[in-house]
Amino acid sequence: MTEALAVDAQGVTKTYGSLRAVDDITIRVAPGEVYGVLGPNGAGKTTFLRMLFGLIRPDSGTIRIFGNTWQDAGVGALAGVAGFIESPRFYPYLTGRQNLEGLALLDGGTTPGRIDEVLAMVDLSDRADRKVGGYSYGMKQRLGVAASLLRDPRLLVLDEPANGLDPAGIRDMRALVKRLAASGLTVLLSSHHMDEVEEICDNVTIMRRGSVAFHGTIAELRAMAPDPGHALRTSNDTAAVRLAENHGVRVEIDDAEGGLTVTGPQQAVSAYVAALVAAGIELRALTPTQTPLEALFFMLTDDETGRMEPQDLDEMEAAG
Amino acid sequence: MTATIETFAGRRPHVQPRRVGTGAVLRWELRKLAHQWRAKAVLLAALVGPIPVVFVIHGQSRPPKDSLFGRFATENGFALALLILGFAAQWALPLLTSIVAGDIFASEDQHGTWKTVLTRSTSRGRIFWAKTLTAALFAVVTLAVLAASTIASSVLIVGRQPLTGLSGQQIAPSHALALVTASWASMLPGMLAFTCLAILISVWSRNPAAGIAAPAVIGMVMQLVGALGGVEPIRPFLLSTGFEAWHGLLTAPRFTQPILEGAVTSAGWCVVTLAIAYLTLRRRDITGG
Ligand SMILES: Nc1ncnc2c1ncn2[C@@H]1O[C@H](COP(=O)(O)OP(=O)(O)OP(=O)(O)O)[C@@H](O)[C@H]1O
Ligand SMILES: [Mg+2]
Repeated sequence: MTEALAVDAQGVTKTYGSLRAVDDITIRVAPGEVYGVLGPNGAGKTTFLRMLFGLIRPDSGTIRIFGNTWQDAGVGALAGVAGFIESPRFYPYLTGRQNLEGLALLDGGTTPGRIDEVLAMVDLSDRADRKVGGYSYGMKQRLGVAASLLRDPRLLVLDEPANGLDPAGIRDMRALVKRLAASGLTVLLSSHHMDEVEEICDNVTIMRRGSVAFHGTIAELRAMAPDPGHALRTSNDTAAVRLAENHGVRVEIDDAEGGLTVTGPQQAVSAYVAALVAAGIELRALTPTQTPLEALFFMLTDDETGRMEPQDLDEMEAAG
Repeated sequence: MTATIETFAGRRPHVQPRRVGTGAVLRWELRKLAHQWRAKAVLLAALVGPIPVVFVIHGQSRPPKDSLFGRFATENGFALALLILGFAAQWALPLLTSIVAGDIFASEDQHGTWKTVLTRSTSRGRIFWAKTLTAALFAVVTLAVLAASTIASSVLIVGRQPLTGLSGQQIAPSHALALVTASWASMLPGMLAFTCLAILISVWSRNPAAGIAAPAVIGMVMQLVGALGGVEPIRPFLLSTGFEAWHGLLTAPRFTQPILEGAVTSAGWCVVTLAIAYLTLRRRDITGG
């Protein structure tokens, strides 16, 4: 018998009035995987994770967690699962430690010292006896991780865990998730940052307005990605544009930012830059703009009202 | 977050995945209550509040003759304890119990903590019953403290004189003490019914202010409706009717039927309000927090 999937969500739909917040989503997470659910604001990531936790009921579809459903097992379906939805919330009039003690009580108790252990893991030992009401956003986020680890989960579900953190906090949070994943924990993580998912996850589902826009491994996603873009500044932009023609790169005047944008495979861009220098055109700056995966993410998730597609730009330029 | 993380895979969990009973949740709720200033404030008010009231009424030159037992209240401790009881029943008892019961569910919405507790190993049903039990226990303790403080301060400050009953009969001090205590105790079913009503409003409105204020207002409206003429068909269903049932204990001959009827009415209110609250919470989508 094969081990049950950590998460096996089939055709899950949730509507709010006429809005299909989650529309026929299928997501399967194997044990040991680090799985990313990526999507812009309002894509339905949180709604899906709330259904996973049984906080809201799907209109249709089934969600199995390690083989259990909410219908059959009730809250037992969450055995081995921990995590948090949006920002973790606690009782502000209790200390961090008292909050964890209470949550442990709701889990059937914990061994002595375990609370200290999880507090140390998230670097909150010295603040544990202060009231949570006085915690900063990042501290609450870390307490949320501690509260999740207290359950010794096999599956950790995190909804935009780095949201609202400062750069150091984001770095620490990602490092922690990576360490936890390396220790064998299955992680299901939602994010709206492609770089975060690329850095942490093996598999990804990209959601767009409730539906799946892409599903596959990070490697598959990379293969689909467009060429990388660069912003280029030279001493002679007109000459630089002319020179591009026989180097397999696309060079355009960037009306918004000034300077040029260069799009093409990495090697072609390198050859083009060498040719610029050889032609006596001074190179003042060459900086990557969007990473290819970011560009792909925007292409997959753009709305009519959102960003313009590359062909739109071409049309505008052709028109004048 | 620099501390080392031990390997999770294959490790025996510290927490055995199992469902946790109502008892554990009840302990958690009581612990939270003990850390809330408003719960402590209610108990403190119930304990010391009656003392100045007793002093002030005792010091009046003209007794409040229009109120039940008001005529003797300035010079008879038992009468004073009953005067305060009549006053407390109007809105103080519903308000005191609502301060906890009207907040106990809605505060989870206020703090956004439903998702925190519902993603552990406890079902919504168990959390519901633990919270309900906590609110009921708090109501019992509050009523007991208020009654004990009122009776003790009235008797100690004003004295243990023989009490004139509602039929003009004289009641010996020792017997009067038992009747006054029983009168206060007869408030319990109604107070529990207001507790359940506050729970329903707390679950339904998700707003602590509504959960606390609405039961007291509803209590006063019932009082008002009960005082109108031509409401005989609905009078038995009003919680305020049960709050006046103690009058029967102080007549000669004594009649206790209204107390029983009041208890049945209160039980009915409890069952209906709790059933609606339970179903509402069970079915609800937790989208906030
Ligand atoms: N309780 C609700 N009532 C009505 N609409 C809702 C509710 N919750 C979510 N929605 C809608 O459902 C859609 C999906 O929301 P959701 O919060 O799941 O998105 P998300 O992917 O988590 O977005 P974000 O990146 O901003 O967190 C949105 O359009 C949102 O407005
Ligand atoms: Mg979200």
